[in-house]
Amino acid sequence: MSTIINLNQSTLGGMERMIISMQDPDMGIKLRNQRLLITVIPHAMTGLDIVEWLIKKCSISDEEALHVGQLFVKYGYIYPLKEPRNLILKADDSSYRLQTPYYWMSTRWPASELDYAIYLAKKNIRKQGELIEYEKECYNALHKRINHTWDFVVMQAREQLRASKQRRKGDRIVLECQEQAYWLVNRPPPGTQDSIDHGPERRTTNTRVQLVTNGLSLKYLLKRTLTITICDGLTCLCVCARSYVKYCEQYQPHDPIMQGCLPSNPWITDDIMFWNMNSETVALPTKLRVERWSFSFMELLNDQMGRKEFLTYLEKEFSGTHTQINESIHNPYKQYCFLAPGASRWVNIDSKTMEKTLEGLKRPHRFVLDDAQMHIYFLMKKDSYPRYLKSELYKNLLARAIVPQETKKSVFPFMRRQRHSSPSPALATQTAEDDGKAKYSNSNSGTASRL
Amino acid sequence: CSLSKNKFTNNAYTLERPIKTTMLDALNKVTACYRHLVIALGSTSDSQNLREELKKTRKKAQELAVANRTKLTSLLKDKNISKDDRAEYERLWVLFTSSVELLEVDMKRSLEIGQDFPLKVPTRHLIQTGMTGSTTTVAARAMSVQNMKYEADANIDTVDLKELETEIAQVDQMMEEMEMKVQVAPWAVEAKQEAGAELKSTVSVGNSSVGVISICEEEPKETVEGETGLMKVFAGVIFTAVLLIAGILGYLVINL
Repeated sequence: MSTIINLNQSTLGGMERMIISMQDPDMGIKLRNQRLLITVIPHAMTGLDIVEWLIKKCSISDEEALHVGQLFVKYGYIYPLKEPRNLILKADDSSYRLQTPYYWMSTRWPASELDYAIYLAKKNIRKQGELIEYEKECYNALHKRINHTWDFVVMQAREQLRASKQRRKGDRIVLECQEQAYWLVNRPPPGTQDSIDHGPERRTTNTRVQLVTNGLSLKYLLKRTLTITICDGLTCLCVCARSYVKYCEQYQPHDPIMQGCLPSNPWITDDIMFWNMNSETVALPTKLRVERWSFSFMELLNDQMGRKEFLTYLEKEFSGTHTQINESIHNPYKQYCFLAPGASRWVNIDSKTMEKTLEGLKRPHRFVLDDAQMHIYFLMKKDSYPRYLKSELYKNLLARAIVPQETKKSVFPFMRRQRHSSPSPALATQTAEDDGKAKYSNSNSGTASRL
Repeated sequence: CSLSKNKFTNNAYTLERPIKTTMLDALNKVTACYRHLVIALGSTSDSQNLREELKKTRKKAQELAVANRTKLTSLLKDKNISKDDRAEYERLWVLFTSSVELLEVDMKRSLEIGQDFPLKVPTRHLIQTGMTGSTTTVAARAMSVQNMKYEADANIDTVDLKELETEIAQVDQMMEEMEMKVQVAPWAVEAKQEAGAELKSTVSVGNSSVGVISICEEEPKETVEGETGLMKVFAGVIFTAVLLIAGILGYLVINL
């Protein structure tokens, strides 16, 4: 019931049609008179009547009718008379009235700041300066924001009041109530729900961060806001740019295209030594490779050799727990063995995660070990990994790592390995087919000969 | 009117007095009344008369808008004005454009509501909002007349809509031209009114001071309230005069 609905034209049409049929003189709700002290204003309905009519008209249940009625009140098609600020529908004898079409919710004419300012100015005049707290704040904020047309606001407010003085008392009261209801829907007081989805444009001043202005003029305020926005934007850009530059700088020596690769690029020279040297099972890794492990934890884990080295280190440091756990990062179900209380090996996770996981294990599902896994992963990353990078093991490896020599291009051109393209796959398949056919024909002839 | 025009052009260069803005005030008044009338559209106070009132008020508003625009554009285009004068004209320009914006929005809304609520069909679809009185007095205030005369046809609600569409297009075009031709930065204008100024005296805000050059326009008639006020004062004066004369005569009679 408290969902915020995005209004679109078709919904509007439906609600409006319903309102029109609701107040149909024959088929609609029975309208009563509202008695104020001396004035009598017609066309009021009770909440109970509304709900009953909805039940009858749409053949829906009690609850649903109440919900639909609530929507009408929330979006300003009907407004309550006794407690105008409380935009809910009560299924009793509290009175409601229909809103005039000018004030119907329409996405084509969103309520503008200028209109709100005029309304507040009018209210200010009527109430002799006694506005409600949040209205005072809005008033002051608007005075700063649209200061350039403030003279117009004052002029128009006065004229509108003079125009409404021309009407009868009853009509004047209705006009005031209508306008108030409209603004309660479109500029809800703080703490009440905002029914209208304004999308990305947030227009409530109450939620905005207040700038400490203290009598700054609009020009300065504008300039200041602009500089802050630009600065923020620039800062964001700066941060992004900086991190991007850092990344490029870090990875540049590892980029074969930018830096070239040693000993030689296999795609150019047909020499696969580069791949051999960087394979997973080589005895000594290349220096670049080892350096790369220090960039981030993921780099270390993604490299098979790096992972092995890390495991060795952990084995040395802690007696075996973390090594198993590290493996279990890639195979979470192994964790189960260690988390069970009284397991042969302990796992170093905090009590909260332990509790949660144990709870989950009672009703096991796919993701029950995720929390524990996450915890262990971060522990590794924040704690073990930096220590590994500082450890003797890593430093020794880095010292021992080889820097391959670039293959010398022989002086004599005819001594260089000639580049030749590999045989076309088409040829390969054809020869295979021929072989197959030959074999088949052989076997056939064989059998034939036997026969 | 041509006489006062000359007076204006002569004085514009020599005197640097602020401008009396009766025409701008009139536009403001008509805009407020128009909004008041549009609010009644589609409700039970809607009627043929209301549609006619809307039409007349709208036309008057447009006349005033065009007149104001011409005057203000000529003022702003003048290169030989002082900085203060220019600031003042820019402030008036912002007042004018805000007024026209409100007018335009109200015209568009009245078109939409007018189309949704035709009067020819049985009028059970008019929303019963609780307003039952007529809007004649408001329209009379807008048109600056004592009483409104209604002379339109029965099908004004449909016929008028077409006119309204063209008029909206005209106003749109006028606003575009205004933006192109007149280089005024609205946000640079500083209002003369402080926050809460509306609680003070009800003197028209457009006026900056007394005894000035007047923009050529038709003098609006005094409002009904104003008239009765004058009448009261006049009656009071006559009454005291009569009392005085009676007193003097009595004294003379006694003495003689």
